[in-house]
Amino acid sequence: MSTQSAQQTSRQPTMFGIEVPRCTSCNRPISPDEKGVRFLCPNCGQAEIWRCEKCRKLGNTWRCPVCGFEGP
Amino acid sequence: MSREGVAPVPEGEFLVPIEKYMFAGVRLGTRVSNAYLEKRGFIFAVRHDGLRIFDLRKIDERIRIAAKMIARYDPSKVVAVSAKPYGWRPVEMFCKFTGCRPIIGRFIPGTFTNPRASYYIEADLLVVTDPKVDTQAITEAAQLGIPVVALVDTDTPFQFIDLMIPCNNKGRRSLALIYWLLAKLVLIERGLLKPGEDLPVPPEEFETRLREIE
Ligand SMILES: [Zn+2]
Ligand SMILES: [Zn+2]
Repeated sequence: MSTQSAQQTSRQPTMFGIEVPRCTSCNRPISPDEKGVRFLCPNCGQAEIWRCEKCRKLGNTWRCPVCGFEGP
Repeated sequence: MSREGVAPVPEGEFLVPIEKYMFAGVRLGTRVSNAYLEKRGFIFAVRHDGLRIFDLRKIDERIRIAAKMIARYDPSKVVAVSAKPYGWRPVEMFCKFTGCRPIIGRFIPGTFTNPRASYYIEADLLVVTDPKVDTQAITEAAQLGIPVVALVDTDTPFQFIDLMIPCNNKGRRSLALIYWLLAKLVLIERGLLKPGEDLPVPPEEFETRLREIE
């Protein structure tokens, strides 16, 4: 995929290409081929929560940056 | 009925009167200790016979939060599963009222992962009755990155669960009440029921009848 075209089509120019999501628990970038999960914070629905495969497997706590709710 | 261990709370603070929760036994865990749930403040006490007692406030709070989460998804892509018989009717009734898709009994491998299979279901959210037995559903949700909401008892594994509802997930009445509350709150979230309104049937209608599973 061309980073350039992504830059051209998005309204806000992306400085470093397509942004990779980061795990809400461990802050590690989640690559597209990894089996992470994404959902809106169950409590407030305002923040997108990402969990990497490892944190999901270990049951690591995630905390919503908007409302402070802690899961799982 | 014993209200032992429950601090006095103002009327209306819980989703149902405390007596109703107590009668259904929602806070009765197992004798299996669970450091994971303890650390998260889900366990209220350990009874003299070793039974773990869940914190009723946490149960109540998590039911509300789970309902909010479920209500955000297209119901046709929310799958609720129960391999064990006591969860069959609760799951079916929950799905009847919310439009979610029930899978009761055996979860056929490939249900989520094999789009060519006749039994394939596209899922955006999985609701699990007992992660200890609904392992195949969780494994496939993990493979596909489908978020998982689960009823979690003290003998329940925590792997790949994104939102836990700590509760008694083995009792007939407990499962009925939990799923009844979830159904009701999902409908309230969607604006199909007014706050304070109830489902047209009582929680008892969500209970698996003993003859159904003989
Ligand atoms: Zn992580
Ligand atoms: Zn939140």
